[in-house]
Amino acid sequence: MQLTQDLELFPEYTVTQLLFKDVKNATELRKMAVNGEIKGALINPSMVVDAFQILVATNKAVHLHKIGKMKTRSLYSEIIFNLSPTNNISEAFKRFGVSDSDCAVHIVLVHNKEENLNVDDIISKVDGQQIPVDQVSDLMDAAKIKKLYKVAPQEEKCGSLLDAVVCRMATKDVA
Amino acid sequence: MAQSNSLKACVPAYLKEAQLIKQGAEARVYRATFLGRPVVIKERFTKLYRHPEVDEKLTRRRTTQEVRSILRCRRAGINAPVVYFVDYTTHCIFLEDIVHSVSVRDHIASAQTPQHLQALVEKIGEVLAQMHDEDVIHGDLTTSNMLLVPGAEHQHIHLVLIDFGLSYISALPEDKGVDLYVLEKAFLSTHPKTETLFERLLKSYSASSKKSSAVIKKLDEVRLRGRKRSMVG
Ligand SMILES: Nc1ncnc2c1ncn2[C@@H]1O[C@H](COP(=O)(O)OP(=O)(O)OP(=O)(O)O)[C@@H](O)[C@H]1O
Ligand SMILES: [Mg+2]
Repeated sequence: MQLTQDLELFPEYTVTQLLFKDVKNATELRKMAVNGEIKGALINPSMVVDAFQILVATNKAVHLHKIGKMKTRSLYSEIIFNLSPTNNISEAFKRFGVSDSDCAVHIVLVHNKEENLNVDDIISKVDGQQIPVDQVSDLMDAAKIKKLYKVAPQEEKCGSLLDAVVCRMATKDVA
Repeated sequence: MAQSNSLKACVPAYLKEAQLIKQGAEARVYRATFLGRPVVIKERFTKLYRHPEVDEKLTRRRTTQEVRSILRCRRAGINAPVVYFVDYTTHCIFLEDIVHSVSVRDHIASAQTPQHLQALVEKIGEVLAQMHDEDVIHGDLTTSNMLLVPGAEHQHIHLVLIDFGLSYISALPEDKGVDLYVLEKAFLSTHPKTETLFERLLKSYSASSKKSSAVIKKLDEVRLRGRKRSMVG
């Protein structure tokens, strides 16, 4: 159900993604993330095309964390910031972070490979139904994503929406 | 300026395990897996004979130009590899691996007759016209910097442009003309007796771009200058 991927560049780290629908306690979860009760990034799944998009944001966050060049205060906020096509931090949170009215949540956890990750503990905090992470594309709002990332129809001639999104995320510092 | 080695250590350790596919004068190109996907990594390295600060700036600029132009092309629907990650501390670009591709250079070299190549050069002319209409000047147009993805039907040629490290943005017909001149030189010297084929490429370029007549005029001027220079020199 959950998806786990090693970061090849940072062999000590592993990323685990979890997806939930019919969530009734988004407000509470958001508070837990803020006060550190949940050590993870809570993302609005309607802005996610594919789990790979999350991995690209996470890899970049870990990289910037390691070289001391993060734009935000924590690794988890940096993941959310990296998803955004712009450099406006508060806008990134508004668009990509989970908000109180959301009824689906995409959770990203970055942990040490050796460390025993207590996934059940996090699952127990969510009042909602866990679904396979690859179903995130069914929850996305493609029209909203295209508008925000400014993806014109012609670009889809040379690749998928995921390609368009990932390419912007990876190059936004210089674009 | 100086980054400590521990900070930079991740990428070099990773590249040690990667497969080196090309060692160039300014860059090394590798194949590896990144976030579970096949990728090509282009690493620009320091030139010891250049002043460190000048070198750092130049290398960074090349990396920046490359990713900017790739994005600009893709936005316009022109095929170029997707950028997955850029590390500005080690000057590495992680690109989508265009799997099973062959360079246009190798394809032309292995083709039986030039007739087989007409559709291909027409496609090249069309794509370059599109690129120039976006004001992207490639800066290093050669048949090695174009990849061909096989499997596609004859009518649909899948051409991918790569190696944008010397690219820049310009609307000047002169810059576009020089871009084509560089290609012409490279094309005719790597592929002997292809003058007619290259003419066909230019014809397709002209037919595909609204702004082509000024560019071709400049190309003619640049050719003339080149000839005069070689007569003197
Ligand atoms: N995205 C890619 N997918 C598949 N193969 C690639 C890709 N990028 C590069 N290659 C292969 O690697 C070779 C070298 O790449 P590239 O042309 O970008 O580097 P280079 O010529 O060394 O660069 P420079 O001219 O800046 O020194 C290409 O000719 C091609 O065969
Ligand atoms: Mg090259």
